[in-house]
Amino acid sequence: MQIRPILAALRRHKAGTILIALQIALTLAIVCNALFIVHDRIDRVNRLTGMDERNVVTVQNRYVGSTTQFIPQMKTDVQAIRSMPGVESAYVTNAFPLRRGGWSTSVQRTDQDRKGEGVQSALYFGDEQTLKTLGVRLIAGRNFTPAEVRSFELQESPAPAQVIVTKAVADKLFPDGDALGKVVYYYKGKPSTIIGIVDKLTVPWIDVDFMDNVTIMPLLHNSTYQFFVVRTKPGQQDAVFKSIANTLYGTSRMRVLPDKTGVRTFEMVRSKAYEADRGMAILMTIVSGVLLLITAAGIVGLSSFWVGQRRKQIGVRRALGAKRSDILSYFLTENFLIALGGVVLGVILAVGMSQWMFTHFEMKRLSLTYVAAGVAILLSLGQLAVLAPAMKASRVSPVEATRSV
Amino acid sequence: MLKMNHLAKVYRTEVVETYALRDFNIDVKEGEFVAVTGPSGSGKTTFLTIAGLLETFTGGEYHLDGVEVSNLNDNARSKIRNEKIGFIFQAFNLIPDLNVFDNCEVPLRYRGMKAAERKQRIMDALERVGLASRAKHYPAELSGGQQQRVAIARALAGSPRLLLADEPTGNLDTQMARGVMELLEEIHREGATIVMVTHDPELATRAQRNVHVIDGQVVDLAEEPRFHAHAHTLHHG
Amino acid sequence: MFSYYLQLGLRSLRRNPVLTGLMVVAIGFGVAASMTTYSVFRATSRNPIPQKSDVLYNVQVDNFGPDNTEKGEPPPALSYLDATALQRAHKAKRQAITYPIGISIIPEDPSHLPMQEGGYATGADFFPMFDVPFVQGGPWTADDDEKHASVAVISTSLNNKLFDGGQSVGKQVNVDGRLFRIVGVIEDWAPQPLFFDVPNTGGFDEGASLYVPFNRAVDLKMPNNGNNNCPKDPGEGWDTYLHSECIWLSLWTEIPTAADARAYREYLTGYAAEQQRSGRFAWAPNVRLRDVMDWLTVQKVVPPESTVSLIVSLGFLVICLVNTIGLLLAKFMRRAPEIGVRRALGASRKDIYAQFLIEAGTIGVAGGLLGLLLTGLGILGVGLVFPERIARLATVDPMLVLMTLVVAIVASVVAAFYPTWRASLVQPAWQLKSN
Repeated sequence: MQIRPILAALRRHKAGTILIALQIALTLAIVCNALFIVHDRIDRVNRLTGMDERNVVTVQNRYVGSTTQFIPQMKTDVQAIRSMPGVESAYVTNAFPLRRGGWSTSVQRTDQDRKGEGVQSALYFGDEQTLKTLGVRLIAGRNFTPAEVRSFELQESPAPAQVIVTKAVADKLFPDGDALGKVVYYYKGKPSTIIGIVDKLTVPWIDVDFMDNVTIMPLLHNSTYQFFVVRTKPGQQDAVFKSIANTLYGTSRMRVLPDKTGVRTFEMVRSKAYEADRGMAILMTIVSGVLLLITAAGIVGLSSFWVGQRRKQIGVRRALGAKRSDILSYFLTENFLIALGGVVLGVILAVGMSQWMFTHFEMKRLSLTYVAAGVAILLSLGQLAVLAPAMKASRVSPVEATRSV
Repeated sequence: MLKMNHLAKVYRTEVVETYALRDFNIDVKEGEFVAVTGPSGSGKTTFLTIAGLLETFTGGEYHLDGVEVSNLNDNARSKIRNEKIGFIFQAFNLIPDLNVFDNCEVPLRYRGMKAAERKQRIMDALERVGLASRAKHYPAELSGGQQQRVAIARALAGSPRLLLADEPTGNLDTQMARGVMELLEEIHREGATIVMVTHDPELATRAQRNVHVIDGQVVDLAEEPRFHAHAHTLHHG
Repeated sequence: MFSYYLQLGLRSLRRNPVLTGLMVVAIGFGVAASMTTYSVFRATSRNPIPQKSDVLYNVQVDNFGPDNTEKGEPPPALSYLDATALQRAHKAKRQAITYPIGISIIPEDPSHLPMQEGGYATGADFFPMFDVPFVQGGPWTADDDEKHASVAVISTSLNNKLFDGGQSVGKQVNVDGRLFRIVGVIEDWAPQPLFFDVPNTGGFDEGASLYVPFNRAVDLKMPNNGNNNCPKDPGEGWDTYLHSECIWLSLWTEIPTAADARAYREYLTGYAAEQQRSGRFAWAPNVRLRDVMDWLTVQKVVPPESTVSLIVSLGFLVICLVNTIGLLLAKFMRRAPEIGVRRALGASRKDIYAQFLIEAGTIGVAGGLLGLLLTGLGILGVGLVFPERIARLATVDPMLVLMTLVVAIVASVVAAFYPTWRASLVQPAWQLKSN
């Protein structure tokens, strides 16, 4: 196919050519970025917590009344839950992955106020059933014993003698891999020994830069507000989900289990935690889909117009011996050239837009794979869209040459 | 009515200047029926487009109905076209989306005429070309001759002072052509000024006066015995 | 002439239903996407208290120092030390310290389960300062604040739950086992964004159902239900906590004139300088006094999702417009012969402009109507995209309906400018020449 005559013809249709190219460019810029956002959000939504998330039920609880001693009731409640049919294990805590609220502090190897040395870590309170309930794997050391579980008061600093940390925390504090048995400091003057290391467990938040830094502490917090985390036997999640509120009200009515966030399966926790991300992914998918459709329709419309306008010219070419396939490839090549111009501009726009969103909205920078994918999508979309008008053109009869306009 | 003095029209491209008309002089009196003849490419159609204010010219003077038109802006030219000139094109140039009545209405609409008067004038004009019964038809449903008669009705509805016709029978067969010519002659007898461009000498003989254009200039054919030629052609036609 | 052009426009649009449909759909989708995301953006960026937003100021005093703050921005809340010192000085017309308390209400009827409610501990000035609308009684008094009185203001919803909506002023409410005397009932007041408690709510949350005096709440050690940030370990015990540098309180002031605001700023700087002299702050005074809208901007209450989706939707609309320009160009230029004839028959350029812009306008009206329908659907679907607390703020009102239509019509007429200009350039002689 000769490209020069096509370019010459396009120069005579400047406006239409520029409009199609511009539309392709803008579509590429938006679709690249939108799909990248979708990808990024789906990545987040599918992030692993390190837990075995199946068969887990969580309960948000608040004790009411004028008492200031909650530990006894907490112990009663945990016992009641553990003895429910269908319950495998349970414990009481302040936070768990995807809860989107919790505690964190800086942990360091020395007991001095040295800046920059600490490692930020989320703190999960628990007991000997915590690992089993969360379904996380101990890769070194041992679990807590029931005797190691202590109570601590509202205004006290959580710093028990034994802690279990994630591999991420262990490796950051002790890059040589010898964290087990070492003493670390969560609060000034209060040493804690690392007695176990778990493979992976994420923090309660979804937007921090220390996702895998978690410490589990054998503590019961004397607070009105806490969570029960329960692992059920396979197939029993539903039954436990439905009956757990009654079990708790059975031990005491002086409590609040909020309507929406009280009793939740872990699937509900996950879905709630990522609702904004999922929403963004849905919106961007719809926008990209509709945009591609509209751009395709626009190309069909303008190409059909061009074909209509050039019927006589096509007839003359046919009369002079052009084959149908020659006409077809003429229009396909023409569209390809326009789309090529469009995607070149589009790549610049896409990268510019991504850069702008990067600086203004703390979004990630567009990956080049997505630019390449966008280019491929738009080039093939263009070819697909022009196919019908081009087929129509190829069916123009040579007789058209003899007709007046 | 229509007077051009030393009129010139030059088409300029990057490489060449082409004179379509040069030192072109013509004077058409009120009520005349003038045929402009000449070979293909002689400039006769350019003359007509300038006469009809469809195009501007490059030099000389053009007085239309006593008005010097060279300095008029686009709006004023549109107004003169609308009010004083009626066009009859070789290709009829009816708007395919509009029916016969709506086609005839186009120039009257731009004149801002009241609906009742528009209707009166259009029906009169259609009556005159014998197509009153086809008012609701679309151009595609009419024969070539009928379409040209609609175009004439459209021109007549505006009661123009000057009727410009470009090869009005060029796209018609002999019989339809004769009908259209008879209509033009009748309109002329009723007092209209008509300037008709044609390359057909036979058609030209039916006008009162012939102006011959060659290479963008009027050639004096006054010597030629026009009426003899007319009779002669009739005998042998 | 308008009706003539309108008639011509409609006729021409009917001639190519597919092309027309395509343009209407493009405009409709573009406008709907923009208006739906705009409705969310509008809700999240609006002024929650327009009548007073420029006389209400949030106070910030940097007690963290440059090592614990970012870019010199003081922490978003105050320590107990600073908040109470500034409150005592009483330098503004009105001032109130506020912090969120998580409470449970215990109904008198023992067969009812306790209820978890949101509440705030604050001062008497809170209510007149924020124009909180009362339906029964009124706010407690400065005297109640002084006396650390056990009084409460409750919301209409809570009044409905506890007293079936009846007269409750003078009655008692049991908060975690402690009795408070109700002095007033307010409407379910929750300005959005919830400007007076942005650091704890992100700006969007349901309102509180119970307010109690700050002094009384501190006496009762009612725990803070919001964020608590400490530059270092505060140590143990409530009193230690109160005297720590932990930040957890917000202080709002009402300062009627700009001159007074300047004076207050100077006072704040002086206060911080005093702290520096006494050795508590090892840094130069770093204070802020921000009015409502400045505060909302600095706290970035508009979620990035809202802005990003608005921008993407506007980009979407631009593409739809480029698409429409192309299609209109095709449509208008296909009618070049008609334009030539009309020009020959006396139509001026202006006439051609009017005819084609009106034709485009009718596409805009159709696109706008479709856009309106889709915007309605979009707003119903906002819940799929935005968290419920934000999604519920996006609503259709007459203003949005009007904007949708205007944007659609303006957009399509703007899109028609270039094609119409091209159409008006068609020479009247066109048709004569082409033969």
